[in-house]
Amino acid sequence: MKLIELDNVYKIYNEDMENEVRALNGVSLTIDRGEFVAIIGPSGSGKSTLMNIIGCLDTPTYGDYFLDGQLVNEMDDRELSKIRNREVGFIFQSFHLIPALNAYENVELPLIYQGVRADKREEMVFEALEKLGIAERAYHKPTEMSGGQQQRVAIARAIVTRAPIILADEPTGALDSKTGETVLGILRGLHKEGTTVILITHDSRIASAAERIIRISDGVIVQDCPREEAEL
Amino acid sequence: MNIGQSFKMAFKSIFSNKVRSILTMLGIIIGVAAVIIMVSIVEGSNKQIRDYYESMGTNKINVYAYKWNGEDITDELYEYCLSLDELILGVTPNAYYWGRGMRYKTVSTDNMEYGEPQIYMGSDQFSLCNNFEIEYGRDISYLDVKNYNQVVVLGARLKEYLFPYRDPIGEIVTIGEYPFEVIGVYKAKDPNSTWSMDNMAVVPYTMVRLLNKTTRIEEFVVKARSKKDTTEAITRLTGFLSGLIDQNSGYYSVYSQNQWMEQDEKATRMMSLVLGGIAGISLLVGGIGIMNIMLVTVKERTREIGIRKAVGGSRKSIIIQFLIESSVICAIGGILGVTVGYLGTLVAGKLIMDIVLTPSVTMTIGAVAFSVVLGVGFGMYPAIKASGLQPVEALRAE
Repeated sequence: MKLIELDNVYKIYNEDMENEVRALNGVSLTIDRGEFVAIIGPSGSGKSTLMNIIGCLDTPTYGDYFLDGQLVNEMDDRELSKIRNREVGFIFQSFHLIPALNAYENVELPLIYQGVRADKREEMVFEALEKLGIAERAYHKPTEMSGGQQQRVAIARAIVTRAPIILADEPTGALDSKTGETVLGILRGLHKEGTTVILITHDSRIASAAERIIRISDGVIVQDCPREEAEL
Repeated sequence: MNIGQSFKMAFKSIFSNKVRSILTMLGIIIGVAAVIIMVSIVEGSNKQIRDYYESMGTNKINVYAYKWNGEDITDELYEYCLSLDELILGVTPNAYYWGRGMRYKTVSTDNMEYGEPQIYMGSDQFSLCNNFEIEYGRDISYLDVKNYNQVVVLGARLKEYLFPYRDPIGEIVTIGEYPFEVIGVYKAKDPNSTWSMDNMAVVPYTMVRLLNKTTRIEEFVVKARSKKDTTEAITRLTGFLSGLIDQNSGYYSVYSQNQWMEQDEKATRMMSLVLGGIAGISLLVGGIGIMNIMLVTVKERTREIGIRKAVGGSRKSIIIQFLIESSVICAIGGILGVTVGYLGTLVAGKLIMDIVLTPSVTMTIGAVAFSVVLGVGFGMYPAIKASGLQPVEALRAE
């Protein structure tokens, strides 16, 4: 069942100018519900742009993007924020936690925007924090935590809404290899529970955690195959 | 997300960013308080000057005229003054006793600490023209004047000196060698100054013959109905006197306190401009402080907005949150600023002018409005700008 469908998507910066950059140069792609996909490519290949478009953090210049059968390009701010809120959970390389808020409050944020009642929120936040094993750090601010702890808070924030899609952009990039391995383990676990996981990385070893590898270079897909067939 | 949640989020943000919140408030507090205090001081001193002239009597014209050859023009001048009926409220002769002092039994004014009292000779309209009011007893009447009654009304300072803690009505005081019966006492109108306007007494002007051995009265005081009538009366009196007296035959002058008052007001207007300018600069500096602290945090806030959008905050909910946040900070700052301003005004009023000074409401509202507009404007600025961006661009802000 198609969850994500990109049809000939372009993302062009400074179009028709001397410094024109084609971050995505005609990408077509389909991802089904429950897949674990790694998008791999060197820096500047357009993989982050692709993730941003899939996650509705950015819009394509040309081409259509269907999410769960709905055309995303024509949505307004309210509809887009609803999708980001309910359909997608983000994990960023630099965590992107709000520094003034503690772990609990950071994880609570998407639930507040969703309009979940306070008592229900508390239950869900602690469930997520416990799942990541950092419930005891709930009332610490990001600056009082290690990188691995911060990333686990960020993952808790991504999964707290039980979004069907998890988008992870270089989730291990700022972590040591042992902590990185833990994070990958968490992603694998999420996939087993039925979540669609999309992992963006430049590192083939990390990409090998996924079941399907999409290789991107200079804004076009150069390889799209199951892990077993990919040249890693 | 409902409004209650927006409020909670705004307060959370205010308390999580204490330094930023306090610095913003400080800008507003300083701006508002400075304006309130400065402008209040100017307005207070303006009012003080006005009050001083009002206690002496506004729209009061002093007419002074005599002839070198000693010709008596008293009656002509008095009659002419009275004929200005439609312009004036009253006229009184304003002669001074040429001798010295006053005595009650063994107490003489010769030894009064700050000089002897001024003894005037006036009509029943003296108190009206010179802005005196009867405290108790009665004023000089038309009959006192007509019948040459030897009666006197005392100013408050003189009464205190001659009759401390007792009723002077009916007592006999001596001026020169003549006895006068005290019939009334004026209310104090200048109790604080050393050379008080209250160190005086009035007897009917017909006593001039007895006390000064002459029938000539050279000075009159005319009380006009309004500022405009004052100008008109001065013109007419000057015209009349120039027909009566020329440079070779005598001297005359017609002047009004209004002129002095206007001059003093001009001087304080200058001071208003200067202090108003300083106050304006304080407000501006406060405003720049607010802008600074807000703009410094724009990058940080832009990232925060990016994160909020990424986890599902809509543009509207983010703008509402920032609006509430800035409004609350500015409201608290405004309230504190007004409080500091009012307290400062009271203290300054007590120290500088020794009066109870209260700031004007218009100005207070103006100062608060200015700071709040600035604070809310710059508080909202990152929200309006960043919430319109694609979330990915807002996240990229470093």
